Amino acid sequence: MELVHFAPCVPGEGEPWDAKGAAAHFLRRTGFAAPTREIQTVFDKGLETAVANLFDESRDQEAEFQHIFDGIKGSFANFDDLAQLQAWWCYRMLKTRTPLREKLTLFWHGHFATSNHKVGDPVKVLRQIDTLRAHACGNFRDLVLAVSRDPAMLVYLDGEANTREHPNENFARELLELFTLGIGNYSEKDVREAARAFTGWHHDGGKFVFHAEAHDDEEKQFLGRRGGFNGADIIDILMQHPALPRLIARKLLVFFACPEPPEEVVHEAEQVFKQSGLNIKSFLSALFLSKFFYSPACRHTRISSPVEYVIGICRMLEVRFPAVQLPEHLTAMGQELFAPPNVKGWDGEKKWINATTLAARAAFAIQLVEKYSENEFGPHLDLTRLVPDELNQPKMIVDLLADRVLEGRLENNKRLDIADFLITRNGMRQLDGFRNDGEFRGQQIRAALATMLSLPEFYAY
Amino acid sequence: MITRRRFLGQTSFLALSGALPGLFARAALLAATADQNDHILVVVELAGGNDGLNTLIPFENDVYHKNRPVLRIPKENILPLTDQLGLHPAAPGLAELFKAGKLAIVQGVGYPNPDRSHFRSAEIWHTGSTAPTAPSAGWLGRILDHQLVPNDERLRGLSLADYLPIALQAEKVAVPVITQLEQAAGADSPQQKLLRQLSTTPATAEEPIGYLRRQAAAAYFAVEQLRKKSASFQSNVEYPGDLGKQLRRAAEIISADLGIRLLYVSQAGYDTHRDQSTEHPKILGELSGALAAFQKDLEDHKMADNVLVLVISEFGRRVQENASGGTDHGAGSCLFLLGTRIKGGLAGSYPSLEKLDEGDLFHTVDFRSVYATLMEKWLGCPAEKLLGQKFPLLDVL
Repeated sequence: MELVHFAPCVPGEGEPWDAKGAAAHFLRRTGFAAPTREIQTVFDKGLETAVANLFDESRDQEAEFQHIFDGIKGSFANFDDLAQLQAWWCYRMLKTRTPLREKLTLFWHGHFATSNHKVGDPVKVLRQIDTLRAHACGNFRDLVLAVSRDPAMLVYLDGEANTREHPNENFARELLELFTLGIGNYSEKDVREAARAFTGWHHDGGKFVFHAEAHDDEEKQFLGRRGGFNGADIIDILMQHPALPRLIARKLLVFFACPEPPEEVVHEAEQVFKQSGLNIKSFLSALFLSKFFYSPACRHTRISSPVEYVIGICRMLEVRFPAVQLPEHLTAMGQELFAPPNVKGWDGEKKWINATTLAARAAFAIQLVEKYSENEFGPHLDLTRLVPDELNQPKMIVDLLADRVLEGRLENNKRLDIADFLITRNGMRQLDGFRNDGEFRGQQIRAALATMLSLPEFYAY
Repeated sequence: MITRRRFLGQTSFLALSGALPGLFARAALLAATADQNDHILVVVELAGGNDGLNTLIPFENDVYHKNRPVLRIPKENILPLTDQLGLHPAAPGLAELFKAGKLAIVQGVGYPNPDRSHFRSAEIWHTGSTAPTAPSAGWLGRILDHQLVPNDERLRGLSLADYLPIALQAEKVAVPVITQLEQAAGADSPQQKLLRQLSTTPATAEEPIGYLRRQAAAAYFAVEQLRKKSASFQSNVEYPGDLGKQLRRAAEIISADLGIRLLYVSQAGYDTHRDQSTEHPKILGELSGALAAFQKDLEDHKMADNVLVLVISEFGRRVQENASGGTDHGAGSCLFLLGTRIKGGLAGSYPSLEKLDEGDLFHTVDFRSVYATLMEKWLGCPAEKLLGQKFPLLDVL
């Protein structure tokens, strides 16, 4: 089939990849919002290099992170405490050189949603995240198989209670309904038969174990086939079902590209994913190189998730912000890491936004701009690097911030309102005061920055 | 049978909703789906585990005096309610409410296999479930989810404590914390004014910006309503302490009549492991004074008949005092129900001080009987459905 939407975007031929806006969009969606110089680098090197770099194994920091984690676990931080474990993941997202991998891990965490509120074991939920990360951009079959054997999942969806004598359908049902096919593509009997195939898939000492005596090895009938299937067989059958590539490709499209993708785009995505042999890396490469990904349908049409909002701001402004303070903000904004609300994960997009979560975002922005301890030990937002000291024309400062934070997407009358705000003290316009009183100037610019970070224009991701 | 009058009523409503766009149609819809009742429940949480034994005191019982050589309240100081039981002398307000028939005290409240962890026991109380896997929504949140009317965007529940308690967590409804709302929408600082103006106008814009602006505008509107209406609230009553502050806010909000049905306030300090004889009377005094003030204020404003207060705590304390002049985590305790519509008096039975569960009082009433009673008889919800189990109702309403 001829690809229209997934046809490659050809830079320099009037295609959308001809402006820094596209490079910023690329970095934001494949990872987190980025500082200007990173945007410039991506723009200079070009799209193909940028996409290749996303999957560049030489950037991998797994050993480095493991070293830090082992050095501080128990002795500096208490990772039995969920909040500190959440902070650890935040730290990784703040520091990673392979943001796509973290972003995908977050995506799979929402897809194979498992909450520590039920699992009640931080080690298990962290190991699950490690598993998701390791398989994040590999083959979808391997990922599903790894998740099916994951101890946290075995607790969360009661696989540990699934035995020949007493089959438990919880995992099998969600495997079919949420993880692979979607409702309407299987019968209740298929759920029961799949549950039988997974009997005896248990865990012990934090590891997967197969209890042969608890496994039902009699014949099963599943999706029109017969055999003495085990769990892996069920997964293999699922991988051949036509509903699967559509469900996964569509979900990846919604997460990375466009909240309500048009049917013809979903159809192409489904074909691309299927032809890749359900390879996530191949599919995403095609998506990030496609015309569609840079079209207006994808630009600023999503609403940032709390993680994208918080981590994006810190990375974009290169703020030193203590990771230990981030989880409570994320929870207040509606995204408690390691604790999605239910097995469906976070609904996302419009559901992120309500009176309380808007308030939580604005409160975070205000806290963030106030971080400027003068020594190297504390949190720090370097205002001088953002807005040079010699710049003292209010409208120019606003223009600079609007470029930096909102990629210029702010109406002129709003810019003028902010410029007015910058020089207003006790209800009076004081341009001289703004220019001469460094403390007042800094305070006003920081407040203006917090305002921009709390605008709908900024949440439109 | 559809009467002519009712039929006309329906047609005109349909015609109206077809003709009016957006908000107006929604308002018409709301008028048509009038609330089942306008009852309000205010939940007061005594965080830390209130010492029920030194709140409702069995002053004629020798076992009490023997187990509490330091903390015992002498009989002559106790505010007697019956010939056996009386209230702590720090709570004269509660004693008066009891005499006026507006206070019910449910005795021996708890649940099977009590957990002595604050976190876990509070979770059990907040979710109304002893199942090892806590439900994701709290017992009040489930009420809000159950009562949700499509397109009804009014605030239905609000936390006046500075956090969102598990009890109010819902799946379909966003329950705000008032401090967050005010922080975001406080029109006081120039930055907040600027943010409000820039984040809500113009209302029509490309999606998702248009949606985000409408959400922001709705949030500001709710807070503005709260502010405006509560600014006109006048009260001649003095409310003591931080709890008093929260309850005064509750009275303001109730007077604003915004559709809010569930309010949550909280008082800290009940984890009296040491020096209980100075700490406990202070907080109990504040509780008693604040509840009495709240009740009087509601009555002054002719709002009392719609409001009921439930006072809970995650557990009681050990019968025997400890060596630090305090008490350790226990189990069964008493709780309060307050309001003009309450059948005042004692409910349930006082637990035995001799037959103990590892040093703690056995419960005689499951706390979910109290929840079920409030759901069925006050808020008009199916208790068995929302609690997942049937509990006997209490004769307190």
